[in-house]
Amino acid sequence: MNIQNLKVDLAATTDLCRAGRHLGARRLSLLVVNASLMLSPVLAHAQAADIPRVAAGEVLQVQVQLIVGGQSIKNNSKGTLSVVGSSLQLEADGKKVLVDASSILDISTDKDSRQDITGAAHLAAEAIPYGGSRVLSLFSHQIDVLTVEFRDTNAAYHGAVFAMAKGNAAPFRKQLVALGAKTTAPPAGLAPEKK
Amino acid sequence: MKDHSRAVNSVALPIVLFCAVFLVAGHLMGQQSSGEAKSLQKMSASSIQIEAPDPGDVPLPPEFRIAVYENLILQIEKTGKFQHVYRSGDKNAANVSDLVTLHTRARAFTEGSQKKREVTTVMGATSLTVNVRITDHVGQSIVDRDIKGKVVLMGENLGATYDFSKKVAKIVRDTF
Repeated sequence: MNIQNLKVDLAATTDLCRAGRHLGARRLSLLVVNASLMLSPVLAHAQAADIPRVAAGEVLQVQVQLIVGGQSIKNNSKGTLSVVGSSLQLEADGKKVLVDASSILDISTDKDSRQDITGAAHLAAEAIPYGGSRVLSLFSHQIDVLTVEFRDTNAAYHGAVFAMAKGNAAPFRKQLVALGAKTTAPPAGLAPEKK
Repeated sequence: MKDHSRAVNSVALPIVLFCAVFLVAGHLMGQQSSGEAKSLQKMSASSIQIEAPDPGDVPLPPEFRIAVYENLILQIEKTGKFQHVYRSGDKNAANVSDLVTLHTRARAFTEGSQKKREVTTVMGATSLTVNVRITDHVGQSIVDRDIKGKVVLMGENLGATYDFSKKVAKIVRDTF
């Protein structure tokens, strides 16, 4: 009787183990999928943060995202911002926009944060049940925001806002001010960080 | 015979009364709707000039001020109501006789947090309230309203400026 019970218990334990393994495997696969979803943008960001700065003389060049105000260039385009001669140049979508430093009325820097998981990965993460995608919103990185206000040849007022990797906005501001751009912000540098 | 006439009267009288009430009501409603049409009569102007936003006493960060201005220009151009949308200070606007001008002045600003919004879904909203005033070529106000732009759940903080400019564009569509 006892031996039979033991056999039954053993069988039950074996089934539980199988189920446990099966469940463990499913959890593990979910973990792998989530980790890959979470880490891929982080890794991509880490690569983007190592922006090669072309240091030919005093020339600065960084990868930026135009948030607004690119005239012929569409908002949210990604491109290259550089100082060429005495002008600020944005190159994106095969187009170039030049702003002479002397026509800049104000140039300011600020800080903001951006989500690490965006685009298709963010949409895919929305499928995680029980609001699990909200956890992914915790993964974000700090960025610099550069705001430039200037007048064109008709004296029309323009503004442009750029997002760039942390630490890149202040050197731009410094160089443009040295080239004749005006600024109302204190020269101390960036504003306090936002959460 | 008398019974017959009484029966006719009892049926015809309510019908006549109903028709009379219906006609009077229709006439009155017609008058009212023509009054509304008069009040909704659209203005016309060939060009508009968008002035740079005035931050007033509100600590509006420069990127928000510029995003308000640039988004306003984009959205008003999209309405297709004007032949020209001039920027602030544009010399070409000086010769336009029927130019209307859009002025904006910040009233309130609360900068939230995208992270808070997306994690909690109830906190971290970014909102800005801006007074919008559209004046005609002699400086008389056509529109004078406070408009609120906000981003409550998804999206970056600057999305509030886009929401604001879309609302202003709707007012422009309704006015011109």
